[in-house]
Amino acid sequence: MPNMVGNKPFKTTLLYILAFSVLIVMVSPYLYMVLGSLSPWDEVDRRIIPTELTLRSYEWLFFGGEGVLARPWLRALFNSLFVTLSSTVLMMATAILVGYSLAKLKFRGNRLINNVILFQMFYPAVILLIPLFLIIRYLGLYDTYWAMILPKAVNLWAIFMYTNFFRSLPDELLEAAKMDGASQLKIVWKVVLPMSKSITTIIFLFLFMERWVELLWDMLVVNSENMLTLNVLLAQMFGPYGGYPGPMYAASVLLTMPILVLFIIFSKNFKNGMQFVLK
Amino acid sequence: MNKSNARLGWLFASPYLIYSLIFFLFPLLWATYLAFTNWNLIAPDYEFVGIQNFIQAFFTDTVRAAFFVTYKFLAMFVPIVVAGALFLAVLIHSLPKFKGLFSVAFFLPYLASGVASAIVVNGILSYNSPFNIWLRGTFGLDINWLGSSLLAPLIIALMMAWKFAGYYALLFVAGLESIPKEIYEASAIDGAVGWKRFWHITLPMLYPSFYTVTILAVGLMFGIFTEPYVLTGGGPDLATHTWQLEIYSQAFERLNAGFGTAIAVINSVVTFGSILVFRKILEKWGAKHGWE
Repeated sequence: MPNMVGNKPFKTTLLYILAFSVLIVMVSPYLYMVLGSLSPWDEVDRRIIPTELTLRSYEWLFFGGEGVLARPWLRALFNSLFVTLSSTVLMMATAILVGYSLAKLKFRGNRLINNVILFQMFYPAVILLIPLFLIIRYLGLYDTYWAMILPKAVNLWAIFMYTNFFRSLPDELLEAAKMDGASQLKIVWKVVLPMSKSITTIIFLFLFMERWVELLWDMLVVNSENMLTLNVLLAQMFGPYGGYPGPMYAASVLLTMPILVLFIIFSKNFKNGMQFVLK
Repeated sequence: MNKSNARLGWLFASPYLIYSLIFFLFPLLWATYLAFTNWNLIAPDYEFVGIQNFIQAFFTDTVRAAFFVTYKFLAMFVPIVVAGALFLAVLIHSLPKFKGLFSVAFFLPYLASGVASAIVVNGILSYNSPFNIWLRGTFGLDINWLGSSLLAPLIIALMMAWKFAGYYALLFVAGLESIPKEIYEASAIDGAVGWKRFWHITLPMLYPSFYTVTILAVGLMFGIFTEPYVLTGGGPDLATHTWQLEIYSQAFERLNAGFGTAIAVINSVVTFGSILVFRKILEKWGAKHGWE
């Protein structure tokens, strides 16, 4: 193209320098957090690059010190992992089954269900917050894992995504599997899912991320310290532990690392899957 | 189309149906009723008060604050995040290689919990932080960032923009990739190159992405909770008091369940109305540039 005439390699190098600088800026809050968690305490929030690295903040977090009792941070990390995984697996399983039934098992009423799902997706969830809390209380689920898992066991967006994706799969393939005598459940497991790898990765990532950073709901339905998720415990301790920024950064690292690692492991399928999700 | 398919269909859909009954339909009806009562979450009896909650909301300072604060957030967040996302997208799109790598890297902020980012921002802005010491030393500027009713919302808007820019950029990248090459070639003949081409060809061609990103960004601002809850608690002087904070504090701190539900209903109507207005404005703008 005519406008590309000029010193092309030079321009490209500049572009990569720019892209790399932007990348540094985008991840700098994460770097700041990690460095803060490893800094000596008199350097936290005082120096960007610490003069030496120490694990004191992590030690303090898990064992307490100077008259301050340790909080159940590891228990909170476990709670977060348990609640997020259970909830996400349930959301995935229901979305796959419901999506498949709506897309491929053409039964009476499936158009209606489809429309109701669309309505629910646009219905403002905030109106339901208070009655949902009351339902949990009346069911006797307050302060249990169930309270955090059950109301987040079905996800409308995931159902919607899977329905659309399964519609695009050719019927002939499923018919062929059926001819071979496979049950519908087996078809879903052996034929449909292997063809849905990239969208499954993306939906899983998004559901996991959203569940992992949930604050309001987990804060409302759980009370005892041993039941709190890491996100809630961190939010609650931020005020009283304001004088201990180092350990707060250490806890933030604990909260952030699992999701970063998960994302980077799955990022290979990221671009393919996103293309479908963004449509 | 056969009978066993129908039975299986209902069976597969049943988790969704049961869920919707317990966690959607039932609370929906309950909310509709609650909004017209004066229940306080504890007392065994309460009264039906008609539309009193809705009238009272008009005269409640914190509700009015939530209403205006949200538009302040909108005015700050939407331009910043749209410009930021567009910049990232153009950058990604113009790289000859490693597009995927940079898309993934720019997406990383989306993974941050609002709690963790609030803690980091609080640290960066603390009185003796290197940033503030530099400002004081170099410019003599002594700024109380989170104590200022103009800067506190701006900081939260910037935090949200940091989190969402890389995500929205992917929408713009998809838009950029869908622009046919022939249009650029044809416009090059007419002399549209560089900035001129970007302004007159690329931007109008990106209208569908603009539309989606703007509506997403607008909707987002009506649901902010975590960042102000952790970082500012809604202050100073209610400057970051969002709808979600108001609903939370009415229902669960002051225990006004009925009044809180009424505010949630008002919030939904305001959100819906605002998004509708934005859509109309965007559609008008789009029609001017030949988009249906």
